Amino acid sequence: MKHTLTLCGQMALASIRGQMQYRFSFIIGVLGGMFFQGLGIVMIWAILETFTSLGSWGLAEIALLYGLRLTAHGLYLVFFSSLYAIDDFVREGQYDRLLVRPVHPLLQLMFTDFRITVLGDLIGGIAILVAALSRIDIEWSAAHVMLITGAILGGAMLDGAFQILPASLTFRFVESWPARVVFDDVFSRYGNYPTDIFGGIGSRVLTFLVPVAFVAWLPAAILLQKETFLPSWTGWLTLPVGIVCMSVAITVFMRASRGYQSSGS
Amino acid sequence: MPIISAHHLVKDFVRPKRHSGRFAALRTLLTSESVTTRAVDDITLSIDEGEIVGYLGPNGAGKSTTIKMLSGILTPTSGEVEVCGVVPWEQRTTNALNIGVVFGQRSQLWWDLPLTESLALIGKMYRMEEGKYRANLDMLVELLEMQSFLGTPVRQLSLGQRMRGDLAAAVLYEPPVLFLDEPTVGLDVVAKERIRSFIEQINAERRTTVLLTTHDLGDVERLCQRLIIIDHGRLLFDGATNDLKRRYAPHRLLDIVTAPDGEGSLGAFIDALPADFALEHHDGMGATFAVNPDVIALPDAIAIISSRVPIIDLGVREPALEGIIREIYETREVMA
Repeated sequence: MKHTLTLCGQMALASIRGQMQYRFSFIIGVLGGMFFQGLGIVMIWAILETFTSLGSWGLAEIALLYGLRLTAHGLYLVFFSSLYAIDDFVREGQYDRLLVRPVHPLLQLMFTDFRITVLGDLIGGIAILVAALSRIDIEWSAAHVMLITGAILGGAMLDGAFQILPASLTFRFVESWPARVVFDDVFSRYGNYPTDIFGGIGSRVLTFLVPVAFVAWLPAAILLQKETFLPSWTGWLTLPVGIVCMSVAITVFMRASRGYQSSGS
Repeated sequence: MPIISAHHLVKDFVRPKRHSGRFAALRTLLTSESVTTRAVDDITLSIDEGEIVGYLGPNGAGKSTTIKMLSGILTPTSGEVEVCGVVPWEQRTTNALNIGVVFGQRSQLWWDLPLTESLALIGKMYRMEEGKYRANLDMLVELLEMQSFLGTPVRQLSLGQRMRGDLAAAVLYEPPVLFLDEPTVGLDVVAKERIRSFIEQINAERRTTVLLTTHDLGDVERLCQRLIIIDHGRLLFDGATNDLKRRYAPHRLLDIVTAPDGEGSLGAFIDALPADFALEHHDGMGATFAVNPDVIALPDAIAIISSRVPIIDLGVREPALEGIIREIYETREVMA
């Protein structure tokens, strides 16, 4: 375990050193990520300027939701952005390389193509989260710090699980990006708002089918002492739900990878 | 106890059926029919420790597919494989520790990293001790003459340099088994020779078992005492390289050059060729005859020619493997 962690760190560092050769792309990537995520919050601010609140949530509260979800998403991107390359890896037979090394192929995929350029998204997320927390009057306790940390880690895992799951289709259909885009869209479109504004059925779907509600809404509801249609302790479940979904996703992915056909020659 | 064994190995590739004609794309998308191609068809082989075996076959014969099953990349449709006592696709990680793989067509190294960093990462992946890693690296750098390009990113290496880097990466952690898929493809004669002598040396020093696919019979003549030939996924030949020659080309070739006044007598000799001689080639003062030593002893054959034709030069050759293999590919005759 310790060896694997050190190894992942070394693979990531090597990958970062490799990318530093392309300094322009690095700078553009980081700035672009921050800019893009900044625009998102401007959008919500514009909406709230008009309607003053969404559901019963004010601007600072929505910003907390947005910051939580974006930080989780940024963390997910740091570790899993190389999943974007899975279609090419499989089509061109580069996945071969991962299978003849004594390290889990997913870990190799994550860390040997470790994209530091997505740091912009993570920085943007943390900035919004910190700004929101400073505007909201919440009592600071160890429990709340744990809640936020758990939500970020669990949220990143949920994001990852719902990308790894569709990515496993690659082994059968070669192209899986449309399926990945669908899930990415669901998370980024619906994750930034209080889930219950999407109505009875919508919010159930976003809780039990694709557990977007666990990423930010349920934990934020505890922090802000808001009512949801679930008991408030469910806000603590982000990390466990994330771990379960991630384990299922990895199992499915590894099973599906048995159907890998490589490429000619 | 063989170190690599495969029993009745089969690999089918299944793809959705492609339609043609009207709405072809839509029908291809919606089809439930599929086309199955059998890339490897009932291959059984076993290789002992320390052997260097050439795995030959025309393009599309199933060579790479076999290697990919032996190295744990592909899961077979049916059949059994064991490499160092491990089923490759079931215990992938353990298998990875036992094998080194080089695909001539595709590098296993990190494209953007200098070669040294790629090798260092591989050392870490295989949990090599620092001392062992240093010693092996120094040895490989010297053997493969890599000093001058160790710090160059892999994407900027020439093909010959990259191949040497790939070979170094594959043997760095001293795997008992080495799979080489076209390790000399596209290389010049000097680079080929360097790689061949390296394979020879590793095999001699570490008793590394090598399974090698190639289209260059120079590799085979130089390295492989044993050959396995497949086509259409089926085994055509499995045996000693010398056996193949004895069986398919038992004859020797006699090249002669006549004295300046001997052109006429050479012509006459050819016109009434003795039964044990076959003419392979003739131009003016030179000719090549094929004779089978089992039928007529070579000194006798030479005596017969020299008694009839004034010879100033004479050479005896073994038929080249290339001609034999070409004949086998062309006739595609099963002979195992």
